[in-house]
Amino acid sequence: VWGTVRANPSEHELERELEAHLSMAEEALRRQGHSPREAARLARLRFDTVPRALDALHEQRGLPWLGRFSLDLTLGARRLRKSWPLTVIGGLAMTLAIAIAAGGFSFVRALSGGPVPLDEGDRVVALQAWSVAARRAQNPAPEDFVRWREELRSVDDVGAFRTVSRALVVAGDTPLPGSEDDVAGVVSVAEMTAAGFRLARVPPLLGRALVEADERAGAEPVVVIGYDAWRVPFSGDPQIVGRQVRLDGVVHTVVGVMPECFAFPINHRYWVPLRADSAVRSWLEGPEILAFGRLAPGATLESAQGELETLGLATRPARSDAQAEAQLHPRISPYTQAFLSLEEGWSGLIMLLFTMLLLPPCANIAILVYARTVVRQEEFAVRAALGASRGRIVVQLFVEMLLLSTAAAFVALLLVQGVLTRAQIGLSQSPGATPFWMDLGISVGSAFYVAGLATLAGAIAGIVPAIQATGSLMQGGLRSLGGSGGGLRLGRVWSAMIVTQIALAMLILPSAVNLGWGFLRPVLSGPGFAAEEYATARVQFFGPTALFAERQAELIRLLQAEGGIKAIAISQSVPGVERSRLAVELEQTESAADDDGRAAANELSVTPNRVGLGFFDALEVPLLAGRTFDAGDFEPGRNSVVVNRAFAEQIASGQRVPLGQRIRDRFVSGVSPAAWHEIVGVVADFPANDETPRLYLPMTPGQTTPITLIVGANPGATAIAGRLREIARSADPALVVDEIRSLDALYLDQRAQSGAAVSALTVVTLSVLLLSAAGMYALMSFTVNQRRREIGIRSALGAPPVRLLAGTFRRPLGQLSVGAVFGLLAAYVLGAVLPIEELGGREVPGALLAAPMFMLVVAALAVAGPARRALRVIPTEALRDGG
Amino acid sequence: MSNKDADRTQFLRGTLDLMILQSLAALGPMHGYAIAARLEQASAGALLPNMGTLYPGLMRLEQRGLVRGQWGTTENNRQARFYSITAAGRRQLASEKKSWDQMVAIIETLFGEPT
Repeated sequence: VWGTVRANPSEHELERELEAHLSMAEEALRRQGHSPREAARLARLRFDTVPRALDALHEQRGLPWLGRFSLDLTLGARRLRKSWPLTVIGGLAMTLAIAIAAGGFSFVRALSGGPVPLDEGDRVVALQAWSVAARRAQNPAPEDFVRWREELRSVDDVGAFRTVSRALVVAGDTPLPGSEDDVAGVVSVAEMTAAGFRLARVPPLLGRALVEADERAGAEPVVVIGYDAWRVPFSGDPQIVGRQVRLDGVVHTVVGVMPECFAFPINHRYWVPLRADSAVRSWLEGPEILAFGRLAPGATLESAQGELETLGLATRPARSDAQAEAQLHPRISPYTQAFLSLEEGWSGLIMLLFTMLLLPPCANIAILVYARTVVRQEEFAVRAALGASRGRIVVQLFVEMLLLSTAAAFVALLLVQGVLTRAQIGLSQSPGATPFWMDLGISVGSAFYVAGLATLAGAIAGIVPAIQATGSLMQGGLRSLGGSGGGLRLGRVWSAMIVTQIALAMLILPSAVNLGWGFLRPVLSGPGFAAEEYATARVQFFGPTALFAERQAELIRLLQAEGGIKAIAISQSVPGVERSRLAVELEQTESAADDDGRAAANELSVTPNRVGLGFFDALEVPLLAGRTFDAGDFEPGRNSVVVNRAFAEQIASGQRVPLGQRIRDRFVSGVSPAAWHEIVGVVADFPANDETPRLYLPMTPGQTTPITLIVGANPGATAIAGRLREIARSADPALVVDEIRSLDALYLDQRAQSGAAVSALTVVTLSVLLLSAAGMYALMSFTVNQRRREIGIRSALGAPPVRLLAGTFRRPLGQLSVGAVFGLLAAYVLGAVLPIEELGGREVPGALLAAPMFMLVVAALAVAGPARRALRVIPTEALRDGG
Repeated sequence: MSNKDADRTQFLRGTLDLMILQSLAALGPMHGYAIAARLEQASAGALLPNMGTLYPGLMRLEQRGLVRGQWGTTENNRQARFYSITAAGRRQLASEKKSWDQMVAIIETLFGEPT
C-alpha cells in the first residue's frame, strides 16, 4: 500500500512524462529523415497515443490488489455460505472470544484512567503518602498537607478532600412548597478545601463556590450543591442560595449550585469545607483523604516528584506496623491513577491475557479449515497448476477467515455495547461509587482493538492452516488430483490439538454442570417463604449513640402498633444477601480428632450475620436442633452463636449435631485472640434455596449502625414500605430510614445475576462442546478421505460394515479416548481443588461420570457423517481413484 | 492484434520487469524512451514496448520499491523522468536472473536431446 501511495504521480505528471516520451521518439524519427508530420504519426503508431497509455497506467496506478481482494471477498463469502457448519461454529466461537476480550479492554481502559475531564486535566495530580510495603496510600499527615500547600512550587492549587455520609434535611425552618417529606436521606458529601474549585476551573451555576474563609474555625457552615441535587431534593428552587439545610443536624447555608457536568473530586453532589479545626485532628485515622493539585506551568511529574521527595514526610507517631511506616514516601501521580485498583504494568498484562483468549477458538477453527482443505485440494491444485502462487492461495484463505472474523467482531461489538450500557446504567445508580471520568462505552481505541483482534483471528484461523496445507500441495502439485487424501496429512500437532480439545471439554463439563446447577437451583426452588410480604430497610441513627437502643425499641413498638404488621425482625445485613465472609476455626476436641482418625476441619469460611432477639421466630425459620437466642445471649460475656444447616453439616463429625462445639474468628485484629463462641442451635437454611454456610451472632440493640429492619405485612410489603419513614421519624427525626425494598425484589435481583451467570456459562460450555464435536468430525473426515482406497479394498473383500468401521476408526477413536481419559482425570483433580460451593456452584451427583457419556453422544453425532461416507465408498471407484 | 503480436505481448508481460531492471543495472539511470530504445536495440528490433506496456511496468516496479523515478534534464535540455534501480531492485534482479538461468539450462538440455 505504501509503495502504491509513494509511487503515485499526479495525472499531470503522467501526461508530461508520456508527452516527453513521444517528443523524444519524434525527434529521433526526424533525425532519421522523416518529416515532422510523418515523425509524429510514426511515433504514435509505434508507442501508442497518450490517452490510451494513460488508460493502461490508470489500471496500474489504482490499487491493483484491490480488485483481487474484492474477488477474494466474493469467493470467501460464497465459500463461507457453502461450509455453513464451519461458519456457524467458528463464528460463534470467535464472537464469544472477541466479545470477552473487547469487554475486558473497555473495563481495563475505564480502570486505567487517563486525564480527568477538566480544563488541562492531564496536569491535575494526586499527592499521596505511599506505603511501599502495603502497596497502598495512607492518609497524609496534616502537617505534610500544610507543607505541600505552602511550600511546593511545582504544584499549584494544592487541596484535599474526603467523602463522608451525612443525613440531609432540606426543609430547615421553612419547608419547601410541595415537599411532603423534608428528609432527603443520607447523602455522600465531599469535605473539600476551596482549592478543589479553583483547580477544576468550573464556575458555579448559581451563587459561589467554597472559599478559603469557609475553612476557618468558627466560620458559618456552608454547603455547595450539585445540579442533580438542586433539581431533585430542592425542586430546582431558583432562590436556593441562602436557604438553610441540616447535615447531620447541623444547619448549613447553601451558598452555590454547581453546573450539571461538575462532580469533582469523584462523583459528588454536595460539598462542604474541609475544616481545619474538626477534620485535621482525625486525618490519620478518619476516612480516606486524598490531596490533589495542578502541575505549575513548566513543571513535570518528574520535577514535582523530585521536589516532593526533597520536602520529605513528617515523622509519624509509632504504630503497630513499623516496617510499613518506615517505607512511607511521598508520591505524585496523574489524578485518576490514585483511584486505580490496577497497578502500573498490570493493564498491559491483563490485555495480553484477554487477547490470548482468542487463541483456543482460533486454533480450533484452524483445525477445521485445515481439515476442510482436503475437500478443496483439487481446487487449489488446479489453481496452482494455472500459475497461482502459494501466496495467492494463502491470501484467499486468509480473506475468507477475515470475512468471518470481521462479521464475528461486528456482532461482538454490538453485544459488548449492550452489556456495557447496562453496566454503566447499573453503576450510575450507585452514586459516589463510579468516578465521573469513568466511561464504559466503546471508544475509538476499543474499535481499533477489536479490528486488530479480528485481523489476528483471521490470520490464525486462515494463514496458519493455509501455509500448512499449501506446502504439501505445492510439492505434490497435480499429482494429488484425484488421489485419496493426496499429500495432505493431519500431522501430529493437529491431532494433538484435537485430542487436547477433547480433554478440555471433558475437563470443564463436570465443573460447568455443577456451577450451572448451583446458579439455577435457587431460581427454580424459590426462597421457601412469602418474600413478597416482607419489606427491608436500612436504619441509621444520627443522634447520640447512647440513645440508639432506646429509639430502636421505640421504632419497633410503633411498628407493632400499626395494623397489618405480622412480623418485625432486626439484623445487621439483609438475610440472604449478606456480602461478607468470615474465616473461622473450630476448637479441637479429642472426640473430634478421634473420629475416623482425622482432625476436624479447622479452617472454614462462613457468612456471618448479627441478628436481634426474636429474629428466627419472626421470619419463621425452622429450628432443627438446640435453641435460638434468648434474652441472656445478648448480655455481655455470653458468646452464643446459632448456625444454619449447611454450616452444621460442614462441621459435624459423624452423625452428631455440632451443638456445644466452639468456634472463633481466625483473623481477629489486636493482641489477644478472639473469644470462643459456642454453638447453641442449628436452624434451617434461610432463605431455603441458599445453602451458603451461615453463622448468626446476637446483635445487642444500639451497638451496630446501620441496621436492617425486616417487616412482614399482611397485604404485602408495599403497604408498609410507604409508611416506614414516617413511623421512624415519629420515633425520632434523627432516625433515618432508606433503601426500602421488598425482600422479593432483592432476591429477584440476585436471580437476575444468576441468570446472567448461567447464560454466560452455557454459551462458553456450548462453544467448547461444539468445537470439540467439530474437531472430532474433522479427524474422522480426514481418516475416511485418507483411507478411502483401503476401505474400498476391505469392502471388496467382503468385510462386514461393523468391522469396516472398527478398522477405519480404531486409531482416531483411540486418540480421542486418550484425550477423554486425560480430561476426565483432570476434571477429577479440578473437582477436588476447585471450591465449587464458594463459587456459587453445587455438586450434582454423577456429573463426573455423566460427562463422558454425554461426550460419547456428541462423538457419535460427530462421527455419524464420516462413518456413513465410509460405508458408501464404492470399491471400484476408490480403487480407480487411488490407482 | 495478430497471433504474432499476441505472443510478443505475452512474452513481454512475463519478462518486461526483468529486462527493465537489467537495463537500469547495466546502463544506470534512464528515462522511459531510452529504456524502450535500449530494448529495441538489444532485441535487434524484435521488441519495442509501447507506452501502455512500458510505463505501467515502470510504475509497478516503482510501487514495489525496485526502481526510483526522479525528474531530470536530458542532454537535449528536455525535462524527463529518470529511473534508477534501487538496492531492493538489484537483489530482485539477482534472484530473477538465477531462476532464469536455471530455466534456460533446462530448455537447452531438453532441446539438445535427439529427436
